[in-house]
Amino acid sequence: MKDKLTFYIERESSLHRVNPLTKLVMVFAFIILAFFGPGFWLPSLLVVLGIIPLSFLGRVQREYFRTAGRLLLPVVGFLFLMQSVFHPDVGDSRVLLQVWVLNVTVEGVRFAYLTASRIFVMVSAFILFLLTTHPSELMSDLTRRGLSGTFAYVITATLQIIPQMQAKASTIIDAQRSRGLDTDGSFRKRVGALLPLTGPLVFGSLVEVEERAIAIEARAFTSKLEKTSLREIPDTKLDKAARWFFLLLIVLAFGSKLWPS
Amino acid sequence: MAIVNLQDVTYKYPLTEEPAIRNIHLQVEEGEFVAIVGPNGAGKSTLCYTLSGFIPHFFKGELNGTVEIAGVETQKSSLDEWVLNVGLAFQNPFNQISGSKFTVYEEIAFGLENIGVPRGEMKARVEAAMAMTAISDLADRSPYSLSGGQQQRVALTSILVMEPKVLVLDEPTSQMDPIGTREVFQVIKEMSARGMTVILVEHKIEWIAEFADRVIALHNGEILLEGTPGEVLTSPLLPERGFGISRYTSVARTASGQGLWPGDRRLPITLQEAVDGFARDRK
Repeated sequence: MKDKLTFYIERESSLHRVNPLTKLVMVFAFIILAFFGPGFWLPSLLVVLGIIPLSFLGRVQREYFRTAGRLLLPVVGFLFLMQSVFHPDVGDSRVLLQVWVLNVTVEGVRFAYLTASRIFVMVSAFILFLLTTHPSELMSDLTRRGLSGTFAYVITATLQIIPQMQAKASTIIDAQRSRGLDTDGSFRKRVGALLPLTGPLVFGSLVEVEERAIAIEARAFTSKLEKTSLREIPDTKLDKAARWFFLLLIVLAFGSKLWPS
Repeated sequence: MAIVNLQDVTYKYPLTEEPAIRNIHLQVEEGEFVAIVGPNGAGKSTLCYTLSGFIPHFFKGELNGTVEIAGVETQKSSLDEWVLNVGLAFQNPFNQISGSKFTVYEEIAFGLENIGVPRGEMKARVEAAMAMTAISDLADRSPYSLSGGQQQRVALTSILVMEPKVLVLDEPTSQMDPIGTREVFQVIKEMSARGMTVILVEHKIEWIAEFADRVIALHNGEILLEGTPGEVLTSPLLPERGFGISRYTSVARTASGQGLWPGDRRLPITLQEAVDGFARDRK
């Protein structure tokens, strides 16, 4: 099985050293600014002047571009295309191009661009966050700030369970195939072949839950003592200041929406 | 004084008629290595859960008698306090991994984080425990990427790092290949050598013969035999009651029936004992 289960790239950089909560607040500030902030070009500016330079600061620019390119460009591109073609023509729009019965209008293209760039900010800010923040660090930091240990456990365990489930599913499929189950062929046949998979996968996982519970109890998971953390998570004055700054941005972004213009 | 003290312990799982273990009297001295053998359904795992506090704190049901470890009674303690005295490791190494940690190092620190050990001490203890079980080289690996034997050693280390007084092991090698078994037994041997009290349920008779100070044979929830490995593991009662026995004992017993093994000589358990025993007659 692959050793790597997260997006996280371990590297020495000032962005990596920023407190996880600060980064999380920053991500939300970017998203809220992109969706609620003023100006048509704001989301694009956030990408060009915010997220991309930060990816260089975090020394993950290559991974950032690769992930954003593979994951995001096809989706955003498709979105842009559909929105510009199918944007409702309200009558007084300027037609840019006519394709068959569809009018591509200037308004449509503008709207599509804005939507696509907002989505781009949202997803790529998260990609940058995941590339530079170890999930354990985020969870330890949030637990220290009062998040329930059980909740943090559920989140990190879920992150890990997907590759395990995949591995188990492929073992079950192999076992079924070795007993003659045909998993190739038509779509219907393949869907049918999935059915015998669900029983062992689901029930097997349920049985495991009890053992897992015993195992973590055996390691004092429910201890009433105050937990400590292996990872030392920096939280400097600068972090605190940055969080206030981003919160202010968030408030301003909402404010700009509510302000009667 | 005995560190483990069970007096007339009987336990019934919820919604069952028959007790899984009954009238168990068991004293284990500090530093002693006790092995428990028994066929399926003998109550071995139930006894392990009772010793490690999961009965009655995790599995409900009806527990009678007294279970006392290090002078504390299980009924008067809570599970999170109890596990600091008694460590439990069991068969499936995969399910013993916390599932929330990304490296072996973090995995081993998990228990210490839960009991609030300061970071400096935590690191020192994790590193010492990994050195002891010879897994220091796995520190940065994902717990999921390891072999069964490695995973089981990580699971054991995760318990050992908590420094329990008593270590309860429920068939820790049952899913291991011979290499994995050897690796795990090296760790158990090391623990025992360091004076830890070990209670081990195991089917691999030859390993028990090598390590255990005392063997308890459990049958239908009751203690059938108790004594040194030599006495218990060669008893003719065991095969009659469906216990697995060493193939060397079984061969020598057959040989004994044909006059090839003297009737007054103790039957062998390990290969070496069998070789020595048979070789003696050839001289």
